[in-house]
Amino acid sequence: MASDTPSMGASKRASATSGLRNSQTARPVSPHTPQPRSGNPSFASSTSPSSSFRSEDDAIIFEIGARWLRAGFEGNSTPTCVVGFGPEDSRRVGDYRGWIQGSIGAARLPQPVDVEEWTRAYELWRADSREVDLGLVEDKIERAFRETYNQFLLTDAGTSRLVLVLPSLMPHPLLSSLLSTLFSRWRFPSVTLLSSATMSATAAGLRSALVVDIGWAETTVTAIYEYREMTTKRSTRSMKHLMQEMGLLLTGLGSEGKQDTETADKISVGFTYCEEVVSRFAWCKPQTEDDTSSDEPDRELSIPSPTNPEEEYMDVPFSRLAKPVEKVLFAPGVPEHELDDEEKSLPLLVYNALLSLYPDARGTCMSRIVFVGGGSRIPGLRQRVLKEVSLLVDRHGWSPIRGKALERQRQRLEQLRLSARKASLEPETPKNNEEAPSTDDAPADPSKEVPEIDFVEQKLRRQNKDIPVPIQGVLREVESLGPWAGASLATSLKIRGMVEIEREKFLQHGLAGATRDIDHPIPDRRSGLKSGDRSSWTLAGWA
Amino acid sequence: MSRPFPYTYISCPCADMPVPDPARKRKSRESPQKSPQKPPQKPPQKPPQKPPAEQASTDQDKKSPAKEEQHEEDDEEQTFDPRSPRSNFSLYPPEQLLYCEECHQIKCPRCITEEIVSWYCPSCLFETPSSMVRSDGNRCGRNCFNCPVCTAPLAVSTIENATGNGPQQGPWVLSCGYCLWTTLDIGIKFDKPTNIRSQLQKMTDSTAPAALDRSRQGSRAFGDLKHPLSSYASIDEPSNAREHDGEQAAPKEDPAAPPMGTDARFAALKSFYRTQIAETSNSPNDHLSSEFGFSSPGALNRLMSLYTSSSRLSGLYGGKQKPKSKPPVMREALTASEGLQVAQENNEMDMIARLQSPECGWDGMASIDQRATQSPEARFVDDLLPLPVLLRTKRAKRCKSCKHILVKPETKPQSTRFRIRLIALSYIPLPTLRPLALSSSSSLPAMAPTTDLNSLPPLRPIHVLLTLKNHMFDPVRITLATPPVTPGHVTTKVTVLSPQFEIGANSDVWDEALQGASAPLTSDSRSAVLRGVPEAGKVWDKGRNWTTVVLEVVPGTLPGSSAEGGDGNPNTETNDEDVVAVAASKQDEDVLEIPVFVHMDWDADAQLDHQNVGKGSKPDDKVTRELAYWMVLGVGRIQPSL
Repeated sequence: MASDTPSMGASKRASATSGLRNSQTARPVSPHTPQPRSGNPSFASSTSPSSSFRSEDDAIIFEIGARWLRAGFEGNSTPTCVVGFGPEDSRRVGDYRGWIQGSIGAARLPQPVDVEEWTRAYELWRADSREVDLGLVEDKIERAFRETYNQFLLTDAGTSRLVLVLPSLMPHPLLSSLLSTLFSRWRFPSVTLLSSATMSATAAGLRSALVVDIGWAETTVTAIYEYREMTTKRSTRSMKHLMQEMGLLLTGLGSEGKQDTETADKISVGFTYCEEVVSRFAWCKPQTEDDTSSDEPDRELSIPSPTNPEEEYMDVPFSRLAKPVEKVLFAPGVPEHELDDEEKSLPLLVYNALLSLYPDARGTCMSRIVFVGGGSRIPGLRQRVLKEVSLLVDRHGWSPIRGKALERQRQRLEQLRLSARKASLEPETPKNNEEAPSTDDAPADPSKEVPEIDFVEQKLRRQNKDIPVPIQGVLREVESLGPWAGASLATSLKIRGMVEIEREKFLQHGLAGATRDIDHPIPDRRSGLKSGDRSSWTLAGWA
Repeated sequence: MSRPFPYTYISCPCADMPVPDPARKRKSRESPQKSPQKPPQKPPQKPPQKPPAEQASTDQDKKSPAKEEQHEEDDEEQTFDPRSPRSNFSLYPPEQLLYCEECHQIKCPRCITEEIVSWYCPSCLFETPSSMVRSDGNRCGRNCFNCPVCTAPLAVSTIENATGNGPQQGPWVLSCGYCLWTTLDIGIKFDKPTNIRSQLQKMTDSTAPAALDRSRQGSRAFGDLKHPLSSYASIDEPSNAREHDGEQAAPKEDPAAPPMGTDARFAALKSFYRTQIAETSNSPNDHLSSEFGFSSPGALNRLMSLYTSSSRLSGLYGGKQKPKSKPPVMREALTASEGLQVAQENNEMDMIARLQSPECGWDGMASIDQRATQSPEARFVDDLLPLPVLLRTKRAKRCKSCKHILVKPETKPQSTRFRIRLIALSYIPLPTLRPLALSSSSSLPAMAPTTDLNSLPPLRPIHVLLTLKNHMFDPVRITLATPPVTPGHVTTKVTVLSPQFEIGANSDVWDEALQGASAPLTSDSRSAVLRGVPEAGKVWDKGRNWTTVVLEVVPGTLPGSSAEGGDGNPNTETNDEDVVAVAASKQDEDVLEIPVFVHMDWDADAQLDHQNVGKGSKPDDKVTRELAYWMVLGVGRIQPSL
C-alpha cells in the first residue's frame, strides 16, 4: 500500500499550468517571466483532449460507500444529495408499501433476527465479495444513479465527466461491476477515481494527515504523507458493529428481563429506529471510565420505546447510550493481546498506524489527525481516541516491543545506567531515547524532546524564514470537510486524478486493460505531450 | 404484494442481458461467480426470443427441450423467479413500460436514456431556465419552501396578522401549516414577502459565524459557487483580495473565533489552493510549462536552464550566487483564513451537555431524514433551515440501443401532453387477472364461492381467469408457458388450460357491432357462464380483441405450516403462532406469484425499410413479428394453515 495513491503533488503541479490562467497575474510572488498563456485551448486540448477541453460542464462527483451515496457538482461545498441504501430502494416499481404501512425498518420486527441478517438489506455491498451478489449490486447501483440524476442532480446522465470517490481498497469484482455498470448504462466520457482518504486530507487543507475513517464495515486509519498513502490499518470495529450493539441494547431494553437464551444475540428492533437512536444519541465519554463515572448524575432520557416506537416513549439512562460506543470502538478491559489483528480498538489502530510510519512522517501525521466517516459524528469520540492514543504513547513510547522480557531488560538497563551514572553522567540522554520507552520523563515524543541542534536544519530554517514552521510532534486533530468536499475541491481546481478511466479503453478490456506498472504514468503526466498518456491507463492504488 | 391482488407485472427482457463486463470476457469462466451473472458470450441483442413452442405446452418436463439446446442456452431457459432479489429491478407494472418501434422490444427505465426538456418548480409551476438551474442549486429560486421538519410546503405569512394589522405590514415568516413550525423558531424574520430565497441566503450568510467578509461567490447557502456564466477571473479577484486581507489578519487571529461554516471554509480552502498552485507554478525552472511549444517563455526558460546548468554546478561549489531559488513548494493551510480548522476541545463537551439537557430530548435532535437535505453540520432541530423546493424535470426518453425517441413531453410545465409517447401497452396485450367465481354447480363443492385472495387455502385448487387484451390492429397469436411448479419454497402447481390461442385485432368497435350481431360478446360470455367448468384445451372466453384463458392453481403449503409434507391433512395442526411467525419472517414468502412466459407473434404491416425483405417471405407485405417476455401474475396470499 505504500506507493499507491494518486501522487497529487505531481499531478497538481502538472495541471497547475492549465488550471489557473488568471490567478497568477493577480498576485505575483516574485519578478518572473509571464506565464505561458496555457489557456490556449487548442494546445491544451491536443495534450489532454478528455479533461480540459471536453468538460465544459462541471464534473459530477459521487462518493459511494456501503450505506450512503453522496452526489453533487464539482465546486460545491456540500453534496447536492445524500442517499441511503435500504430495502425500500429494492422494491419493485409500483410497490408503495413503504409509504402505506410506514417504513419497515421503524417498527419492531416480528421475529428476532441474526445480527448479520439484520444489516444485510441495508448495505449496497460487502467487502467480502463472496457474499455479494454482483448482479444485484449492479442493479442497485444502476437504480441509485438513475434516481439520483433524475431527482437531485437534474442534469442529463452521462454527458459530463464523472468523479468517483472510493475507499482505496475496493475488491476488484466490485470495482469492475461498478465501472461496467456506469459505462454500459450511460455514456460517461471518463470516470476518475479518487481515494477518499486523500480527499479527506485535501478537504482539511493538509498535505499530510492521518485520516481516521470510521466507516460502516470497517474503520480505516490511513497515513497520508504529501498526498501519498503511506500505510493503512483497518479494523472491523466500525459503525456496523456499533449499530448491531445498539440494536442488542435496545432489544434488551425492550424486553425487560424476559430475555431468553435462544434470542440472546438476536435483534428484534427495527433497523431504521436503531439508526435514529445511534445518529441522535450515541455518544462517548471523552474520558476513560474511572475518572468521570462518579461525579455526574445519570440523567434519564426519553426515547421512543423499542417495543412500539410509533407511540410510546421510554426512559433510558443517558450514560447507557454511551456503552455500545465504548464497547465496540474502544474495547475497554480487553488486553491488547486478546484482540485479533482485524479487531484492534480505535486508539490502538491509530497508534499502530503512527508507529509503522517513519519518524518524520509520524511527527507530521500525528499532529494532523482527521476524523471522517459516520462515526466521527459521535460526540466525544474523537477526543476519547486522542486521549487514549496519547496515553498509549506515554506508556509505550514509539516502540513496538512489549512484554515481560522487555520489562526485565529495561530494569537491567536501568541498573546498568545507574551504575554508569555513578561513573559518569554523560551517556544518559541517548540511551534514554533509545531504550527506555516506558520511563515517564522522556518518551520518544518529539514534542517533548529538547530539539537537537542540527546545523542543516538551522540552515534550512534561515533560508526559508518566510515559510512558517509546520507544527509537528503533538497530537492534534484537524477538521475536514469530508472526502466529497475534497474531491469537489480537487476537481474544481482542474487537478486530474491519477486514475482516469476513459470509456473506450474500459469497454475494450475492462479492468484488465489497466497497466500494472504503477510508476508508469507519472512521467506521462508531467510531460503531457507524450502519447503514452493516451494509450494506457492505470488503476494506481486500486490495482 | 405491493398492489391489491390480483396484479400483473411484466419483466423487461433487458433483465436477461447482464451488464457486459469487458474484463469478464477475458477471464472466461475461470472465476466462478456465485451471482446469476452470465458470461456475455451470447449476443446481447437476443433475449430469449424463440422459446421452443413445444415447451410452451404444459407438459411437465421442461428440462427435456432445454437439454437439446446448446450449453449456452441453458442459462436462458431458466424460469424467471419472481422471488429472486434481482427480479425486483426488472419487473414493472405493464403501464410503465415503453416500446421501441425500431428495435421491436419492450423498454423499461433501465434501457432508455433520458434528456431533460425543461426544469420547473412543482410548487409554483414556473419553468426555470436551464442557465439558472445550477446557480439556484436545483431548487426553486422564488418563494417556494418546504418545512425542514415535516416537508410540508411553507406559507409566507405575517406575524402582525394576529393583532389585526393589515397584511401588508411585516415582518414576515414562513410557517408550516402541518406541524406549525415557523421560521421564528430559528429566529428568522423577513422584511418583505417576496424574494424570500435571496433574503434567506443573506441571513444565513451573515449569521454564519465567519470571520471573513464573504464574497457573494464565496458562500451561498444553497447555490453553488460558480455561476455558469462567470469566468474564472471573477472568482479569482475577490479571493485574491481576500487573501491579502487574510494575511493581514492572520497574525492576530483570534483563537477563540467561532469556526467557519462549511461554505465559508470551502471557499477559503479553494482560494488557498488556488494561490498555492499559482505560486508554485510560477517557479522559473518549472519544466511543466514546457509543453506548450517553444514560443512560450516557459520553454525558453527550460532551454536556458539547460545551458546554464554547468554554471549552476559551479555555483554550488564556489559561487555564492545561486542561479535560481528553489521552486517554492506547495504548503498546507496554516491559518483559519486559509481553511484550516483545528478541532476545539470544548466543542464536543458542549454537545454532550446539550444532548443531556432536558430541553433537547428526542425531538430536539434532527432525524436522519431531516439532516439528509441540510448542511452536514446540522444536528439539532434548531439548525434546520427552510428548504427551497427541489425542482423537477420533464424528460424526453430515447431507446438506449437505437436512440429512437420513445417519449417526448411538451415543454410547458403546465401541460401534461406528450408529443411522442410509445407506451408498451399499445403493443403488448394487457394482462388482467381475476379469480373465477364458480357457480353453485361447480364440480368442486368445497371451494368457497368467492375466493378471498388474501388468504388462499393451501392445496385447494382454484381457477383464475387471465384475460389478454390486444391493442394492436393485427390479430396476435399467443403462447403461454408456466413452470409446472412455481419457484421458491412454496411450490404451487400451475396449469394453463389452453396455452395457445389467438386474440383478435383491435379493430373498430363498429366492425364488431356490424359484423357480429350473431355472435356478439354477450352470448359468448353467457355461454361461458353456462359452461361452468373450465376444460383443458379450450379458451374460456373470447371477445373482439381479448381472450380469456383459465389457469388452474393449486397453492402450495408454506414451509413450517401444518400441511407441509402431508397431503394437506389439517389434523396435524401444531402451534399456530409458530406458523404465523415463520410465514412472516420471510417477507412475502406466502405471496403466490406465477411466472408466465408469453410468446406472441403476429403479422404486421411491413414498414418501409423492411418492405423489400418482407416481400420475399410474405406475399402481401406482411412481416411476422414476435415478442417474448416473462410476466408475473400475483394471485394472492396463501394461508399459513388450512
